[in-house]
Amino acid sequence: MRALWKHNLLFRSIAMVVVISSLLGLLTMSITAAVTHKRAYETATTRLHQLLDTVESTVQVACFVGDQTLADEVAQGLLSNSEVMEVTIIAGKQRLAHRQRAGTSEAITKPASILRRDIYSPFNTKQVIGSIQLAPHLELIERGIQDEIRFVALQLGWQFIVLVLVMTGTLLLILRPIKAMSDRLHHMDAKAGERLSTPKGHAHTEIGRLVDDVNALAGRLMESLEEERALSLQREMDEKKYHAIFENAESGIFIIDSEGRLSSWNPAFERLLEVPSSKAIEGALHLGALPWNNALRLTELIQEVLRDNIPKTKDLSLHLQDGTRRWLNLVLSPIGVNLLQGVVHDVTELKEAEATAKLLAVTDPLTGLANRHGLEAKLHSLVKEYTLIQSGGYTLMLVDLDEFKRINEGLGRPAGDEVLKVTTTRLSNCVKDNDTVARLSADTFGIILHNVTLGEDADKVASRILQALRQSHFIDGSPIRLHASISIAIFPHDGVDVPTLLRHAELALDNAKASGGDTAVFFDPDLAEVAEQRRHLENDLRLALRNGDFRLYLQPIVDLSYNRLAGAEALIRWQHPIRGLVPPDAFIPIAEQTGLINDIGLWVLDAACAQLAVWEQDNRDLHLSINVSVRQIPDGLPPSALSEALQRYGVSPVRLALEITEGVFLSDIEKALGWLKAVHEIGCRVYLDDFGTGYSSLSYLKRFPVDTLKVDKSFVQDMQIHSSERTLVEAVVAMGRSLGLDVVAEGVEAAHQAQLLREMNCRYAQGYHYSRPVPIENFDIAAERVAALLATPAQ
Amino acid sequence: MIIHRQLPALLALLALLATFHAVAEPVVVVNASNGIERLSRDEVINIFLGRYRQFPSGLAALPIDQPADHPLKAQFYQKLVNKDLAEINAYWARLIFSGRTSPPRQATSEMEVVEWLVRNRGAIGYVDHSKVDARLKIVMEFTP
Repeated sequence: MRALWKHNLLFRSIAMVVVISSLLGLLTMSITAAVTHKRAYETATTRLHQLLDTVESTVQVACFVGDQTLADEVAQGLLSNSEVMEVTIIAGKQRLAHRQRAGTSEAITKPASILRRDIYSPFNTKQVIGSIQLAPHLELIERGIQDEIRFVALQLGWQFIVLVLVMTGTLLLILRPIKAMSDRLHHMDAKAGERLSTPKGHAHTEIGRLVDDVNALAGRLMESLEEERALSLQREMDEKKYHAIFENAESGIFIIDSEGRLSSWNPAFERLLEVPSSKAIEGALHLGALPWNNALRLTELIQEVLRDNIPKTKDLSLHLQDGTRRWLNLVLSPIGVNLLQGVVHDVTELKEAEATAKLLAVTDPLTGLANRHGLEAKLHSLVKEYTLIQSGGYTLMLVDLDEFKRINEGLGRPAGDEVLKVTTTRLSNCVKDNDTVARLSADTFGIILHNVTLGEDADKVASRILQALRQSHFIDGSPIRLHASISIAIFPHDGVDVPTLLRHAELALDNAKASGGDTAVFFDPDLAEVAEQRRHLENDLRLALRNGDFRLYLQPIVDLSYNRLAGAEALIRWQHPIRGLVPPDAFIPIAEQTGLINDIGLWVLDAACAQLAVWEQDNRDLHLSINVSVRQIPDGLPPSALSEALQRYGVSPVRLALEITEGVFLSDIEKALGWLKAVHEIGCRVYLDDFGTGYSSLSYLKRFPVDTLKVDKSFVQDMQIHSSERTLVEAVVAMGRSLGLDVVAEGVEAAHQAQLLREMNCRYAQGYHYSRPVPIENFDIAAERVAALLATPAQ
Repeated sequence: MIIHRQLPALLALLALLATFHAVAEPVVVVNASNGIERLSRDEVINIFLGRYRQFPSGLAALPIDQPADHPLKAQFYQKLVNKDLAEINAYWARLIFSGRTSPPRQATSEMEVVEWLVRNRGAIGYVDHSKVDARLKIVMEFTP
């Protein structure tokens, strides 16, 4: 019972409800009984008094006259009331009447409960003439009271029962699910996924919510437990992993203090540094005490890391017990106060490979000679050396095989390689043993002649080399003849540092090449000057392109047959900010050499198309020709760019003519032919410019189908009525006609020349006689002037 | 002077008034030969309302009432016990039943009352004060 009270909330609540209700019921009942009792007595007394009131006047009369009969009548009447037990009427000393209920004895009536009332004279309210006594029927009254109390008790009783039932029911409703939850929770294994179940009908009540919350809480608790477990598992695994890494790493891992004392290391470290196992060592092991080749560098490294507090690395070599050397890469990182963590690995192979690579880098694999790096290194060391002793010097010679490219292209690379090998041997034979021969690029060799500072000595060697290289090479049994260009630069006379000396030698080599090869050229300071100017010019050209400093000038071309303006040749001018208008001769060669010609060419194409578009809009039947450099063919001015520009401006291709020179026949003829074909397909016409000054080979003309020939002005200007030039021009015109080509005569400067050309039936003419080249914006004026000139009858 | 001349008239008026007063004033009278001189109010009440029917001397008392409709009767009981006739009749109604006592003799006329009083020595009745003569003796008067 006590245990139930202690542990069972439901029992406790119900017991309390029962006890309190019982106590309250008992209290209420006793109070009710007392009150009822009192009230019943009062009621009975009141009723008897009222009874007396009704008979009082009659009793007065009876007592007044002492009428026993009347008194007895009244007494009997009173006894008819069941509550009256006994009646006595007294007048004076005489008992007028006495009546008692039958079947009762005198003893039942308690004297205290008797009602007594004085009777006054009916005619004198102050005179007492008798009295009446009335004994109530106590038993009856008590019985009524008891009945009433019993009724009240009954009522209270069932109210109490209902109350207890309702309270118990309510408690059961609330407490039972809580008890069930409590019991379930007590035995619940949340880890096994067990959860509280919602009591029936409580899905949406506070209890249901409580259950949900408890379940959610349990769920969250389980989740965090699970996470915690996973985390600790992960930590354990990480620890194991790191331990495994530490133990199995190929790299040596260790920890040292600032003195270099080792406190921990792994097996790889033992292997790499040949130290005994950490377990076998007694006392401290010093990293610095190991057999380093240079222990000082290790001390430095430790100090640097400690000072800068950042990881640092160094390669150190260690003497092994077998006498060999092991290169170790050491990385030290600070990991706390005066503690360093280190990683060490074997880089011996790497170091060896590096050394091999270094050797390779300065050597040409084909010839076994030093390469450019090798030569430069040698030059540097020599410069250092001679600068130190402040006397003596040496000669740098560059040897370049002329037209070597042809061998590679024509006979294949193996043949070229063979030639290079033979050349190497010949060069080596021409110099002293201590001189250096190197191969700088494909067909360029460099030679250092030690202690040669005199030009004539150098020249002798150069002649020897030229001679040697002129010897025929035999490729597949066929003799091939080659020669070389040589440049000579002398240290310190032609340059006191390596780059200058090399540059000057290269300049001289260019010069030798330009003069046709098979020659030796000394460096000339003027060459440097020119080169410098060219570099400036090149920069200016780039700027000009960017700033749009080029101008298009047009020189009218006249149709002699129809005596009208046929079109114009577009000529480029450079509006230099300082030098003013620069003619093409002064910058086109540079542009060609630097490749800037391509950008300039595209600009010209664009400007020309723009002009043609204007003419077409004005319905003017005019052609425009632009100059195309050999360098632009085939990739500098690709046909695609051509058609793109034409389309962009909506210009008919037939109006645009491209003037090329005979130089095109010297370039890659196949590619040039492809280009020409593509241009023709687009619909543009092609003029052959400066005809007569170059190769002017008829066979080329046949292979290279141009549309128009432009006869060079030198022929036209020297044309007299009877001169060879005139004959030549005539021949060209005739030939053109037979090949179906138009002819433009350039450089027409006088009226008689025009006349002669007309007589020759030359179709077109161009020159100062008609108009100088004019700025594009002035062309209309020039055109009018030409028209006026043509209209003059004498012309 | 004026008063002297009118004095006889004034006295006459006063006499008239006195006469009138005497009519409305019942007095209790007995036979002159009855030895009794005076009766108290209670003694009168006891005799007339049936309690005792004898004089203090022991002589049987024979009460008589004025005729029922005579105003003197109502006046008498009113003065004696402050009750009207209806109440008096109700009182007698209760007693008549038991037969223990009876109400006073009921006269049919004023004359009969006087005759009754004169003829019986123990008779007792009430008359107007003015009707009292030598044959009758006043034993009680109602003080106003």
